[in-house]
Amino acid sequence: MVASGTGTQLAIGCEDGSVKIFQVVPGGIQFERNLDRRKGRVLCLSWHRSGTHIVAGSIDFFRVIDVASGQTVQRIMVNHQVEKAKRECVVWAIALLSSGTVVSADSFGRVQFWDWEQGTLAESHTVSTSAALSLAVSEKEDSIVVGTSTGATYQLQLLPVKLGGLEKCWVRTKPFQFHSHDVRAVAHSSTALISGGLDAQLVIRPLMEKVQKKGYDAVLRKFTFPHRRLVSCARKARLLLFQFSQYLELWRLGSTEETGKDGEVLPPCRMPEHLVQLKSKGPEHIYCSCVSPCGTWVGYSTASRFQLYRVRCDGDGVSLRKVPKVPKLLPPAYQLQFSADSESLFVASARGSVHVFQLLEPGGCKHLHTLQPPSGCSEAVYLLAPSADGHWLAAVSGDWAIHIYNLKCFQHHCVVPAYSCAVSALAIHPSTNNLVIAYSDQQLFEFSIPEKQYTSWSRAVQSRGLHRTWLERDSPITHITFNPKNPAHILLHDTYLLCILDKSLPLPDDSTLLMNQSTLKQLPETARKRQLHAFKICKKFQPLLFMDLLDENCLVVVERPIMDFKTQLPLAVQQKKFGT
Amino acid sequence: PSQFILISDQKPLGCWSVKHGQILTCPVVCNFETHEYIAVHDDKVRGSVAENRDLVLFLQLSADVYRIHSLPHGGPVVLFRGGGVRTLDVLLEAPQQEIENIISGEVIRWSGAFMEGQQPVLIFTTEKDEDFFVYIQKPKLSSLHKYKLEQQESAKPLCFTAHITNQTVTLLCLYSNDSVYEVLIPLQQDTEEKEEEEEILSKSLLLNLSVSGAVLKGTSLVVLDKDHVAVLGSLAIPGKEPRECLTIWNTKFQTLQTSKELPLGTSGQLWCYEEKFFLIHGKVLTVIMYKCETSSLAAAVGKLKDSQTPDVSSFVNWNTLEDEELVVSFQSQKSVALKAESRMNVSKAVLKHVPCTSDLHSICLFQDASTYVLETELKKLMAKAPTPDLQATIGYVVTALTDRCKKNPKYYPRNFLQEIAETRDLSYSLCPDLMAVALEKKDMHLLQICLERFPDIPEEVTYACLKTFLSMSEAHLQKIDVNLDSVICYIDVELDNKEFKTEIVENGFSAEMDQDMCDTKIPKENQSRSDGESCPVGLQKAALLNAILHSAYTETFLLPHLKNLPARQAILFLRYLYYLYVKCSEKVNTTLPGIRSPTINQIMDWMCLLLDAQFTVMVMLPEAKELLSNLHKFVRAQVRFYSQLNKIEGSLRELQRLNHLRESQTYSIEVLEII
Repeated sequence: MVASGTGTQLAIGCEDGSVKIFQVVPGGIQFERNLDRRKGRVLCLSWHRSGTHIVAGSIDFFRVIDVASGQTVQRIMVNHQVEKAKRECVVWAIALLSSGTVVSADSFGRVQFWDWEQGTLAESHTVSTSAALSLAVSEKEDSIVVGTSTGATYQLQLLPVKLGGLEKCWVRTKPFQFHSHDVRAVAHSSTALISGGLDAQLVIRPLMEKVQKKGYDAVLRKFTFPHRRLVSCARKARLLLFQFSQYLELWRLGSTEETGKDGEVLPPCRMPEHLVQLKSKGPEHIYCSCVSPCGTWVGYSTASRFQLYRVRCDGDGVSLRKVPKVPKLLPPAYQLQFSADSESLFVASARGSVHVFQLLEPGGCKHLHTLQPPSGCSEAVYLLAPSADGHWLAAVSGDWAIHIYNLKCFQHHCVVPAYSCAVSALAIHPSTNNLVIAYSDQQLFEFSIPEKQYTSWSRAVQSRGLHRTWLERDSPITHITFNPKNPAHILLHDTYLLCILDKSLPLPDDSTLLMNQSTLKQLPETARKRQLHAFKICKKFQPLLFMDLLDENCLVVVERPIMDFKTQLPLAVQQKKFGT
Repeated sequence: PSQFILISDQKPLGCWSVKHGQILTCPVVCNFETHEYIAVHDDKVRGSVAENRDLVLFLQLSADVYRIHSLPHGGPVVLFRGGGVRTLDVLLEAPQQEIENIISGEVIRWSGAFMEGQQPVLIFTTEKDEDFFVYIQKPKLSSLHKYKLEQQESAKPLCFTAHITNQTVTLLCLYSNDSVYEVLIPLQQDTEEKEEEEEILSKSLLLNLSVSGAVLKGTSLVVLDKDHVAVLGSLAIPGKEPRECLTIWNTKFQTLQTSKELPLGTSGQLWCYEEKFFLIHGKVLTVIMYKCETSSLAAAVGKLKDSQTPDVSSFVNWNTLEDEELVVSFQSQKSVALKAESRMNVSKAVLKHVPCTSDLHSICLFQDASTYVLETELKKLMAKAPTPDLQATIGYVVTALTDRCKKNPKYYPRNFLQEIAETRDLSYSLCPDLMAVALEKKDMHLLQICLERFPDIPEEVTYACLKTFLSMSEAHLQKIDVNLDSVICYIDVELDNKEFKTEIVENGFSAEMDQDMCDTKIPKENQSRSDGESCPVGLQKAALLNAILHSAYTETFLLPHLKNLPARQAILFLRYLYYLYVKCSEKVNTTLPGIRSPTINQIMDWMCLLLDAQFTVMVMLPEAKELLSNLHKFVRAQVRFYSQLNKIEGSLRELQRLNHLRESQTYSIEVLEII
């Protein structure tokens, strides 16, 4: 499925060999017509920039289709040059350049350049002994990135044959090996090659020659986990809800009666308990999920359905009952959030709207209100934060605007001043009703909802600047929570650290050590005072998926060891490598 | 008597003395244009010594000479005590000419000569009543500039050194307050108006010779390059006895780069020519090679890898010649040495080392005494308790013996030489002719001993030995007694046993293992077996070759010689190395059993070296093809094997790492303290 250059049309290649054109209309797509249908699955598509032609890759051949007439104007076999022609040659990825050149990547590991009008092969580069699976062309069409099934990606560049000469040819320039498995998708930004693999990693490899200054963009980035909350916690009921792609798991946490010193492992007096596994019906992935603070409601949403369940614990048994007649949502939820009193559910929805559902005993639900920004919004809401007193709700939409609603009168209260970065997490302080916001550039803000302005602490942080080490981290804060017993504490975490931000302590400057916990532990109590600063960072748990404070003394932390899912991956393509 | 001795950085080359009662009053210099040596004795007379080492010219001058400086391309320049300067050419024309007196009441403390463009420039410093003056003279332009050095409270200069860069004289002065000052003097073009006022030169502190409380009392200063100076002096650490040290300082970073203790004391003088220091350490003239890396902060703080300054220190066996008799005997032997020299390369001319102990009254014996008498005498000598110079004495004895061998082809004290070589820690430089004589006499055992024991055999000689060993017939070698310790433990004794042993694959490889990589199956199994599995040389030859493998060498120096190795011998040697390599690989620890058996590294190094040197020959030669292909297969198999090992190691390491990780329970309740 590929959209045309102007974004007005969508071409979809089908298993039966047809290519369908859809018109993009406000609010959806509309079928326009079928293009010429030929035998053979369509595996990849590419539009010409002008929108006049589409190239479709199949097994053993690709064809060029004139969009206006819908006719196939050229069909080129790609396996002619191969002696081992008995094997079928799958065209896994294809691109139609504005010059009319077709670039194909096939299962023989070749990247080939064709003049489709003549039907001739201009250049052929065998980049890999195994399949080339994906390719992407830079905006200027002078560079191509190819992903292969060995986990390697290659860059091909259009370079002059002679220095300063006009004649140019494609040259394989840089090989990168950042994945262990198939590289299924690649993208070419102006300054970086981006690849996504079957090994559950997203890698951004900056092109150093395109990066002007040293900064966030100039560093290789690897992402293993989505920057979203996949675990939710019922604080009062001490339950954890884990969201997997096809099912949910509800666990009761264990407990202990012992106490001990730092680092000690205490024997649990009650073991954790797997209460229930809830499988989603159909092939769709679960998009978001939530458990209510009291632990009696569980909701989740896939791309097409929203489901709400009532959890009942009777003695040892746990029963789940689906709440009937849940109001139909179209489109379904982007984020779910229960209120602190577990009496209402907030559902983040498209076009900036938030639906408020009232939860009814013994197991019902009714639509109460839909909150919408007064100025309208085209993007969906993706983060929600209700206040503990049930008075306020903060909602972040895809345009990064944070709207605050008054829940008592279901009215829009204010907008947080715009900031040119995505919000990665936000939460409202239970006692002060200050909204704490973490942005993807690692900046932290505190916004007073009643006063509709940034707090003085937030201003102080901004004028002083955060510690350099803090700003140079590459994983964003994904969850914020508070310590009800100590209003000065803000608890945050990203994939690699958890941090207690103590507003009562001075901010560290660049010359002090940011991660000073191990240093502090070695100091005598008296000497610690001078070394203390606001950021109390613990890196003991990695990679960190979730952290929440259950009560004053109890912190729950969810780790997801990379080895755990690495071992579940299929075998990588066997490769002889020296030294490994 | 005054005498001067010609030395290289390796050894003394020659010795001359002036007549009784005469004193050499300034250092002898070499006239680079005529290769004559010019000596000054009794302040007045200059003698010129030609290359043939005879005094040829005497010159009576009208004024006292302070020093002669010799400049490449510029000819010698003579500085008189009165401050006058003449070039030697001018003096040769009119020896008795009047020499003007420039300085009055001042005493010359130091002088130096340099070339500035085509002009010789002479700089000297004088002292008068605590004041120091600097003179700069250009004798060819008869220009003269006088400067006064800025005074320093409670300190005065001890030592000077200078160099000229970009028309500026940089004068470095070592002061008695343990500091080095730098004085910059522009080389003035001759100005018309002579200023009457003498200019005062200001100085700036370049370096303080103190390191963490220790102060270096410098006596001598030498500039090494733009960032390094060497200072000889005694290091005074509070509460310890001062020790004499040679130190190299980095002036850019003000750090002590390196130092070398000289516990036997020095004369306080330090010379430096061509990246070598010369200094008198105890009774020995010591040559220390140094190498100044480009000055970098890393080097200054000692973080630079392989910074080896000074790295090599070699001793010239150069004892003070006190005993007149010995000098005579020394001179009487000169003719012999010179004859030898005329046959050999001039640069290899070797003069005798003269021992200073009275033990050597018996030296005359070496020339003509009967073998029996000689050996008795020598045994007496050897039985003596070791004294510091016994080593040198024995070296001298051996040299005298080899000389005799050379003169008298029938004379060769085989056993005695072997015994000496075996029991005494001799070195090549101590008796440079020994190995040459042994080669000539085909004394394989002696050569073996020398190769195994001498740390400093020139690569040329090592190569000569290798060639001799390889070219000798096995039949002849079998009659010779050599030490077989290094081979007896691993070599297959049953050489003639052609019967195949059952194939035992040890350690994962054999020639056959690699069949999938062979283009064709090994056609002549017999042949390939004999390459890898049985020794291509006899026991004796193997032992001798092992001695070669055991000797120390420098690749760059050995390589050009190895290129001359005849192809047949090169292949034989490679075959033997391949055999050793296979033998080594059979054992898991890749070592060969036995005493002095070659190590895997020595084998590999020689193999690389030989392939490097004989690359084209090996490629061209049909006989080598099979050997090379087998060798290649074997190496490939090894590389494969090790890569497999690498994999295992990687997995094991990962396991180790995982074991060390916090015991990752799926669920735990832990105490976490956050301060």
